[in-house]
Amino acid sequence: MKLSPISNWLLLTALWAFVLSLNGCAGISWALNGAQENPYPPPSHDEREIERNEFTLPSGDDVVGGLAVVRLEKGDTLPDVARHFGLGVTAISAANPGVDLWVPEVGKLVMLPLSFILPDAPRSGIVINIAAMRLFRYQGNGNPLAVLTFPVGIGTTERPTPTGKMSVERKEMWPTWHVPSSILKAHRAKGDPLPAVVLPGPQNPLGESALYLSKSGYLIHGTNKPASIGLKATNGCMRLYPEDVKRLYDDTPLHTPVVIVNQPYLIGQRDGVLYMEAHKPAEGADEREQKRIFERLREIERETGQPLNWKEIEQVTVEARGIPVPISRLAPESSNEAPTTTEVRHPEKLYGKPEVPELKLDGWYVLAANVADETEARRIAAMINHQGPPIPSRVLVDRDRYRVMTGPFKDVDEAGDAIRRLKIDLELNGILVVPASEPLQELVQQPTPGV
Amino acid sequence: MKRAILGIFMTLLAGTVMGCATSGDLAKMQEQQNQTAAKADQALQEARSAMATADAAKRQADAANAAATRAETTANNAATATTNSATGGPVEETPANQTPQSSDVFQKSMGK
Repeated sequence: MKLSPISNWLLLTALWAFVLSLNGCAGISWALNGAQENPYPPPSHDEREIERNEFTLPSGDDVVGGLAVVRLEKGDTLPDVARHFGLGVTAISAANPGVDLWVPEVGKLVMLPLSFILPDAPRSGIVINIAAMRLFRYQGNGNPLAVLTFPVGIGTTERPTPTGKMSVERKEMWPTWHVPSSILKAHRAKGDPLPAVVLPGPQNPLGESALYLSKSGYLIHGTNKPASIGLKATNGCMRLYPEDVKRLYDDTPLHTPVVIVNQPYLIGQRDGVLYMEAHKPAEGADEREQKRIFERLREIERETGQPLNWKEIEQVTVEARGIPVPISRLAPESSNEAPTTTEVRHPEKLYGKPEVPELKLDGWYVLAANVADETEARRIAAMINHQGPPIPSRVLVDRDRYRVMTGPFKDVDEAGDAIRRLKIDLELNGILVVPASEPLQELVQQPTPGV
Repeated sequence: MKRAILGIFMTLLAGTVMGCATSGDLAKMQEQQNQTAAKADQALQEARSAMATADAAKRQADAANAAATRAETTANNAATATTNSATGGPVEETPANQTPQSSDVFQKSMGK
């Protein structure tokens, strides 16, 4: 039988298809292997690549660092993210308005404000800007200058951190806290008497090291309350994270000058671009500080002949997010591009995040709250977990209610201490929960520790 | 026709030569299948272990909840008894229902 040419080709094609099917693995394996060898690259940088503390400053520049973002995961709190990335609580909160401090939305990208305009002060020794709650330690005289920077906790409105010039008079590792009489009195009044002397240890609020300043009674020290860094919570001293104060302690010789300023509005330049950074000013200082900075900006506008973006300036001032924002090019040839923001990968574990031990049947507990809203329960548990020293706390679901259970504690005394701390520090009325393994009669016989 | 037969013959010859590579790939596939099976076994074991852990955690949580319920009942009864004897009326709110005003209270708790 004579086949037409088309039929011949069809036959050949069918045979090829048959042969290829035998070689399916070999036929497509190259394609598969090719894909495996060239996987889709990850979109973000390793978090270790982001510099948080140590920068170099070329001559003429006033801005260090760079902005970054990280995607939140389940169980994250902003204070934990802040600590991991060398930020204070207020700084990360101001940079992310509307994000819940304790129960932020999972998957949300949060800004890490790791760029700073240096305060208007001599660049030597230590400079602390109270408004930004940030400490800058200048090192060396060279070009570029080296700058070490850390977030700080500062004094309350009632007991503010003073501004002015001073120096490091002495240093001490594992300092003993000699409690000032005013603090003794305040603690007695709230039913929480303190001893006159607190020895080094987890109860000592000075932490592991302290730099005593020439202004009597004022220190730069560590803390047993890391979640207070970036808050106005001290009696005038400046607190640093334990890991930061150690570094500062080792790096700072005696008689190092210390200048403390209060500059909520900062302007500075980098690569020919003028930036402005705004922080929430102290009460009553807003108008004065704004006037001062606006005058300076008008001066710059006149000097450079380059118009400033006054709309942007007003927005930066009002929003006060603590992030350097470009407001003008200082010269026509300066870059017009907005600074880039790096996305960092979420670390496997956030440094310093409080650990909550597993439940134990024979543990004592304190029921701190029983609420209908899960988010509220998680918020309360997070606040308790971040006390100093930490009080382990978790949320238990019971039908349509959410219990905040603190513990386990090893005995009734430890549980009683937790009840006392919850009452005094967080205004929570805790209920003692005897071990689940205890028979019911024991519940009646156990006295509730006094509050 | 002769050409067609020649074409078919060449095709089959090519298939046979490539078949050596096919055997190698088959062996590779078999190894991959064995590895996949081993991984599946491991995953199954891990899943079982995780379930066991989750079951244990749930039992602990249930026990803790039960203990908390007992404690709340006792506390409420005690509070009711105290208030009734003082005022002659029942207690409106259980002690553990109160929640702190978040940021101010937390900031205060961070003081020395």
